[in-house]
Amino acid sequence: MNTLINRYAFAVWLRNFLTWQKMVWSSLASNVVNPVIFLFAFGFGLGSVIETMAGVPYLAFIVPGMMAYGAMFSSSFEATVSAYARFQMQRTWDAMLSTPLTLSELLVGELVWSACKGMLSCTAVLVVAAIWGGVSSIAGGLLALPVLMLASLAFAGCGLAATAFARNWEFFSYFFTFWITPMFMFSGVFFEIGRFPDFIQVFAWILPMTHLVEVIRPLMIGLALQPLDVLIHLGYLAAVTVVSFIVALYRLRRRLFD
Amino acid sequence: MASIIEASGLKKTFGGIEAVRGIDLAIESGRCVGLLGPNGAGKTTTMRMLMGLCRPSEGKITVLGATPTSMPREVRARIGLVPQEDNLDPDLTVRQNLEAFGRYYGLATADIDERVPQLLDFMQLSQRAGAQVMHLSGGMKRRLVLARAMIGNPDLVILDEPTTGLDPQARVMIWRQLLALKRQGKTLLLTTHYMDEAERLCDMILMIDNGAVLDSGTPRDLIGRHVKAHVLEIDKPLPRELPLAQTEDLGDSVLLFVDEVQSVLEAMPPETVFNHRPANLEDVFLRLTGRQLRER
Ligand SMILES: Nc1ncnc2c1ncn2[C@@H]1O[C@H](COP(=O)(O)OP(=O)(O)O)[C@@H](O)[C@H]1O
Ligand SMILES: [Mg+2]
Repeated sequence: MNTLINRYAFAVWLRNFLTWQKMVWSSLASNVVNPVIFLFAFGFGLGSVIETMAGVPYLAFIVPGMMAYGAMFSSSFEATVSAYARFQMQRTWDAMLSTPLTLSELLVGELVWSACKGMLSCTAVLVVAAIWGGVSSIAGGLLALPVLMLASLAFAGCGLAATAFARNWEFFSYFFTFWITPMFMFSGVFFEIGRFPDFIQVFAWILPMTHLVEVIRPLMIGLALQPLDVLIHLGYLAAVTVVSFIVALYRLRRRLFD
Repeated sequence: MASIIEASGLKKTFGGIEAVRGIDLAIESGRCVGLLGPNGAGKTTTMRMLMGLCRPSEGKITVLGATPTSMPREVRARIGLVPQEDNLDPDLTVRQNLEAFGRYYGLATADIDERVPQLLDFMQLSQRAGAQVMHLSGGMKRRLVLARAMIGNPDLVILDEPTTGLDPQARVMIWRQLLALKRQGKTLLLTTHYMDEAERLCDMILMIDNGAVLDSGTPRDLIGRHVKAHVLEIDKPLPRELPLAQTEDLGDSVLLFVDEVQSVLEAMPPETVFNHRPANLEDVFLRLTGRQLRER
């Protein structure tokens, strides 16, 4: 892994950064406006009905959930729809692979870039929420960021694995229905997953999102965290990253070169 | 002289389709070699196998001393590819496309900054350095793809239909630059559908169809081997008194191939409508691969 994070992978990352930079303002605007709308709806809307959750004001409860959602959605979207466009529509990957750059370096560049998009979203949520007054502990918020980065890598890995199998755009509607939506609904973004029946809870723990929320929410609202639990959650996120990356790599190797 | 590319018994099957069925190749350093064949002949697949972008089903390849599928990075850096389909980066400018490729080739920033203006100049794109790729004409895009392939100063350049779809001015400009590359001692392997282009640029030609080599040699050799030196295209009805040895029926007219043209011209009745020209590579191509359309 260490040898894959090199200047070739960086060249792929930089290519994506340069194209993003051309629309930096519209991109940042959507990254800021989205959380504002969400916080407005939940802070004023739901917040006026549900006053507290897990013993804290609902706004403080929902902010870590929205940060996790922002990271998950942006990194997944970048690694699927955007990456697929580069792969199949613009043929950017073909061009890259005709150079000394290898497929694994290409995928590392795409993986890290997609995770960076996730970080952009969740950081925007954090900044907006802090200004709004929904972040009780700024230190907790900052501590959550490395965890969000690890989780974004896991989401990006899963997205790239999906892209490796995708044959058309239709495929991604399944990805959104059966992967993104469950992580939005069942991973504790809006309420504690303890309220779900057992079989849904079992399913929820398969989703990397659940592990992310389970770590960053206590961190941000100041609840106790068991070191062993944190280790398990982070370990799960790291394992998802590695496994999904390997699946993407092997699938694309066969698809591109055989 | 040492061979830069050597391939023997090259085969590739996609599902049930045999795209390449046993191609042998040996290309010497500094040569320009043309792969000619109708659509679907297997030219692109062959080139992709040489680049290591496609694993051969059977056969052995050596390119610059290495096996393409496990080519060391230093060897890979000595090859430039002009793919059949433009895959320029539409989100980047002309200059940024070249700079990005320089980074994919692992070049230092200082080297990239030195080479990019040279290549823009070489391909006459300096004026458009800041333009978005989507605003370029077809000819400019092709020139940019060629400039991009040259970013690592390669010894071997593989060009898949570098001039297809271009106007004559743009083609002539690309020919000139390809000849300049040849003079620099680079080895070129190209495909084209333009026989005049192949005749002008290539030292050696491989005629391929249905995934196999039909014949190879210099353009002169091929013409000498497969057709006679002169071609007379004669409108029907044909005059009865002509010696119709080697002919091809085109429907409304007939092609007559002869070595010695004077006696035929003398025997031609005055009312006959005909056209006389020297035989060329196109005649060989059509003779070897047939006249029926390949795309249905
Ligand atoms: N990836 C692929 N999958 C399936 N069939 C392919 C693939 N690539 C090429 N072919 C088939 O192989 C044959 C040769 O194609 P190609 O090498 O592109 O020919 P050419 O470049 O001479 O036009 C064609 O019949 C084409 O349809
Ligand atoms: Mg082709």
